[in-house]
This record gives sequence, C-alpha cells and structure tokens, in this order.
Amino acid sequence: MPRRDAVAAAAILLLAAAVVREAGRLPFGSARSPGEGFVPWWLGVILGVLALILLLRSLLERRAAGAPQPRRTGRPLAVLLALAAYAVAVDPLGYPLCTFLLVVVTLAPRSPREALPALALALATAGGSYVLFAVWLGVPLPAGPLAR
Amino acid sequence: MDVGSLLASGFAVALTPTNLLYCLLGSVIGTAIGVLPGLGPPATIALLLPVTYGMPPTSAVILLAGIFYGAMYAGSTTSILLNIPGEAASVVTCIDGYQMARQGRAGAALAVSAIGSFVAGTVSIVGLMLLAPPLAQFALRFGAPENAALLAVGLMMVGYLGGGSVVKNLAMAVVGLVLGTVGLDPIMGTQRFTYGVYKLAEGFEFILVAMGLFGIGEVLVNYERAVAPEVLRTRIAGLLGTREDWRRAALPLTRGSLLGFFIGVLPGGGAVVASFITYALEKRLSRHPERFGRGAVEGVAAPEAANNAAATSSFIPLLTLGIPGNASIALILAALLIHGIRPGPLLVSDQPQVFWGLVASMYLGNVLLLVLNLPLIRLWVSLLRVPYRHLGPLILVVVLVGAYSVNNNPTDVGIVVVFGALGWILRRLDFEPAPLVLAMILGPQLEAALRRTLIYSHGDFGVFLQRPISAALLGVAALMMLVPAARRLLARRPWQPPAPLEERSDS
Repeated sequence: MPRRDAVAAAAILLLAAAVVREAGRLPFGSARSPGEGFVPWWLGVILGVLALILLLRSLLERRAAGAPQPRRTGRPLAVLLALAAYAVAVDPLGYPLCTFLLVVVTLAPRSPREALPALALALATAGGSYVLFAVWLGVPLPAGPLAR
Repeated sequence: MDVGSLLASGFAVALTPTNLLYCLLGSVIGTAIGVLPGLGPPATIALLLPVTYGMPPTSAVILLAGIFYGAMYAGSTTSILLNIPGEAASVVTCIDGYQMARQGRAGAALAVSAIGSFVAGTVSIVGLMLLAPPLAQFALRFGAPENAALLAVGLMMVGYLGGGSVVKNLAMAVVGLVLGTVGLDPIMGTQRFTYGVYKLAEGFEFILVAMGLFGIGEVLVNYERAVAPEVLRTRIAGLLGTREDWRRAALPLTRGSLLGFFIGVLPGGGAVVASFITYALEKRLSRHPERFGRGAVEGVAAPEAANNAAATSSFIPLLTLGIPGNASIALILAALLIHGIRPGPLLVSDQPQVFWGLVASMYLGNVLLLVLNLPLIRLWVSLLRVPYRHLGPLILVVVLVGAYSVNNNPTDVGIVVVFGALGWILRRLDFEPAPLVLAMILGPQLEAALRRTLIYSHGDFGVFLQRPISAALLGVAALMMLVPAARRLLARRPWQPPAPLEERSDS
C-alpha cells in the first residue's frame, strides 16, 4: 500500500517534528550530563529518520496488483462515534442508559424483525453488567437520572 | 534449597483453593479466546487487568499467565476447523490442519495439536525452571550500561522479529518511547510534556493505552471485516490419532518444542516466529516435502509444539531480566508492577512464592488445558456459533467498565476510546501496536539507564563497547541489522529463484 504508507509516513514525520520542537524547549544538557530534553530530542530525530525511510520506500515502491480487501469502514466509524458519545454522556446520563444505547448502536438492527432481539440483548447487557459490576463487584458506576 | 524443594514450595502456593481456581479460570478464559477468532490474549489480559487489582499478586499472575498460554493451546482449533487462526501463532497450523479436517481427519489434527501442545508446554516449563534462576544470578552483574544495551537490543529485536515491516515496527517502538517520556523525568523528577494537565503528571496510564489499542482497536478491526467465517461441517472423530500419525509427529514435535523454547526466550521472537520457523524447518527436513500443504500431520505437530513452548519460555526474560518480549507479557509485567513487584534478577530470590508459584501453576494449567482441549473440544466448537456482532458489544462493555474502574473517572473512558481509535487506524495502515506498548513500558527504564551510563562515563559512549556484556549485546544488534540487509542483497542475484508461498496448497 504505497499511498497509505506515504500518508502514514507524513503523519509520523509531523509527529517527529513536534517531538523535536517540544523537546528543544526542555533543558538539553550535554552527553556528560544529559538533561530532560536529551532523550526525547534524539527520539524525535530517530523517528524523523524512520518516517523519511518509510516515505522514500512508499514513493519508490510500485503499486501492488490485485483486488483490495473488502472493508466496511462505515460500521467501525459509527461504533467509534458511539463510543466517543458514551465517554461524554456516561457521567450525566448514567451507565445503564448509555450502555443500553451503545449496544443498540453497535448491534445496528437493519429491520423491525432484528430490532426486538437487539433491544432485548441491549437491555440484558446493560442491566446484567450493571448488576455484575456495580452491585456485586462494587465498581462505583454512575447510575444516572434513572436511579434518582 | 534445591530445585525440588523450591518446586514443592511452588506447588504449595499453586494448590491453594484460590490459586487453583484462578489457574482453572485463566485456562478456561484462555481456551475461549484462543478458540474465538478476533479476540487475542493481549486484549483479554488488558480487559482483565483491573479485575486483578484486588487479588494477591501471585493469584493475579497465575490468572493472566493462564490466559496467555491457554490461548496458545486453543488457537489451533479454528485453524483446523475454519482455516482461520484463533491466534497469530496458529496461522501456520491452518496450512495442514485445515487440509486434514477436509480429509475427515479433524480429530487427529486436534489430538496432535493438543497433546503436542501439552508435551511442548511441559518441556518448556522444565526449561524455565532450570534456566531462569541461573540467568537471574547472571543478570545481577548488570549495571546501567548493560541494562541500557539489553533494553535497546530487546526493542530492536521486537522490531526485527515482530512480523510485518521492520521500519514500521521500529517507528512504533520509537513512538512508544516518546509516549513513555510523558510525565516525571526519571533522573531529575521534574515534569515533562504535561502542559499543566494534572492527569499526565505520572505519564499515560499503561492500562488505558493497552485497553484502547488492543481491546477497542481489535473490536473495530473485526467490525470492518466483511467476511463471516463458516465452520467446516465435519465429524470430529478419532480424537487420539492413529499410531501412524504419532509416528510421523514424534520428531517434529520434539524439534518444535526445543526450537520453540529457545526462540521464545528472545524478545520479539515469541510464539509467532517460532511456529513459522519450525514449519519451514520441518518442510526442509522432510523426505516428502510435497505432502506439506496437503494435510501432513508434521505440519500441525511442529508449529503447535513450537508456539506453546515459546509462550512458556517467553516468561524467562520477564522473570529474570524484567524485559517483556511481547505485548501479553508486557501486560503481565504491568500487573506485577501494579502490585508493587518489579520483575528482574531479584524476583527469584526475593519473591520465591511468585516465581515458583507461577512455575507450579503452569504445570497444573498444562494438565487442565489438555482436559479442556481434548474431551471438551465439542463444547468449544459450539462457542464458534456465537456471531461476532453479539460478541463485539460485550467486549466493548467490559473495556469501558474496566477503563472506568481504573480511577472511577469518565475521563479514562475518553482516553481509552482515543487509543482505541489509534489502534484501529494503526492496524488499517499495517502498523503493529505491540512494539508501541512494549516500548512505552520499557522507555523510562531505558532512558534512566542510558542517562546514568552517560553521567558515570562523562559522556563517553565508548563505555558500551568497553564492557563485555554490553559489547556482546550491541554486537547482536549490529548482526541483526546487517544480516537481513545482506540477505536482501543476495536475494537480488538473478540465479536465486524466490520460493512462492502459494505453491504450498490450493491444489
């Protein structure tokens, strides 16, 4: 995947530049007495060199033949968005409600026939895991407005 | 005390009802995740790390180790029945294992795999028991230069042997080292890269990073895959194999056990490399290499023995030098550190109950796994009928609860999700997250050792070559860099035909 590698190499190169810049703001010291910035600065440089090698390779490499692997990017993206929303909402809305909604989104029922089992599984997962972790194991999960 | 008495004391620890239960639990969970494709040992260990906080350290390590070697044991089941490896270390087993199943010999393949794993696991535990204490004694001679050289070589080996692109692996290791510099400076004690964020003062929490990269990252990758596996509809009969099967498997099994043991000791070597190397070796040694890829029992026996032997022996660098060779072992190291135990040369002498308790539990776990994997195989196969779309949400819920329970803080849930996204993106771009995790955990040790060495030597880098152990270690690193380069150059010569992998099967 030369193009993907080139994008990845460019991102790593940016990261390396940021590391060198930020490490440069710390006391560098010397080889006799290395300061806080000594190791991070060198790590940034090494990372930059590796990114350049990767970039060079990806530019020189010919595009590989053959059909690309079938991928469904939409699904993991939707799950990722749901997870991000979960992280924000779990404290105000509570664990049981957020977990129920997260499981429904991840199961993604496509028809009314699939909806009922999905809702049942989401309810069982949210309720069951709350009882297991919060009630039995004592993890102080936020109960949310439903418990009030 | 002699080895026998120490082992007896280990059995006294491992046979307590609590530890026996954790050993059984670890073996059962390990078998389950080994059977299920799409959930690996690092993800599972990361998920269960918070659960171990309240346990005694020996029980925690017994449970997590059981998950790790249990998964190696059972990873072959899906390789044989589905042509999909349950674990990366069982990829090679697909080649001949699946062909055996298609020919109606699934029972024999599963038997050779399970009994071979048992024999190899036992050989490797004996090796661990005999080799670890003297190696720990030897490592007591290590000073800062030797530690710095050892850690650097270990990380390089992870890059070179970890599979995939070496440059990408090394880049991931350096990113891990950079992440490891966030927090307190290991020499001066001042804060670095924290930008006034209180949470970063002690650095990124390893457990959250691991849960995100391995737990959520793996689930997202599995959601992306469009193809659902189908179980081969075959009758699982003849679960002891025939005499001819065992005659053919005996030598490959022995070679696989021994080679796997030595490869497992190398950082980054581990079970995956061991299984590939032993398969290639058996094919080369065979008088009928054309049988490989068409259901040769040797092609199942050798890699399965090797990956189990390597899984056990990969505990040696952890327990004697404090260096994890792979992501699962790094997570076990994290569990020990959380309990205030620092694995290294002093572990065997200072915490004998942990070391010998673990060794004894491995013997017990090995027997339990044989029972779990042979008579109960049909039960595990039925687990494959659970669709991933139902399993994925359950894994996510366990990760999120685990993340929340680390500090009872919703911010940690956000951190795990961010690292989960990173894990998914990295895998999409063919970057392995394991070197990142290993480097992150080893980074502060490496930096402290390197800076101490430079302070003592007044900035003279030559000190690494003046001390024999560090010079030897750096020599190994130089060889590792030069040998692949030389091989690549030789491979470009026109008279050397490449050996295509495709020739093995598809007939």
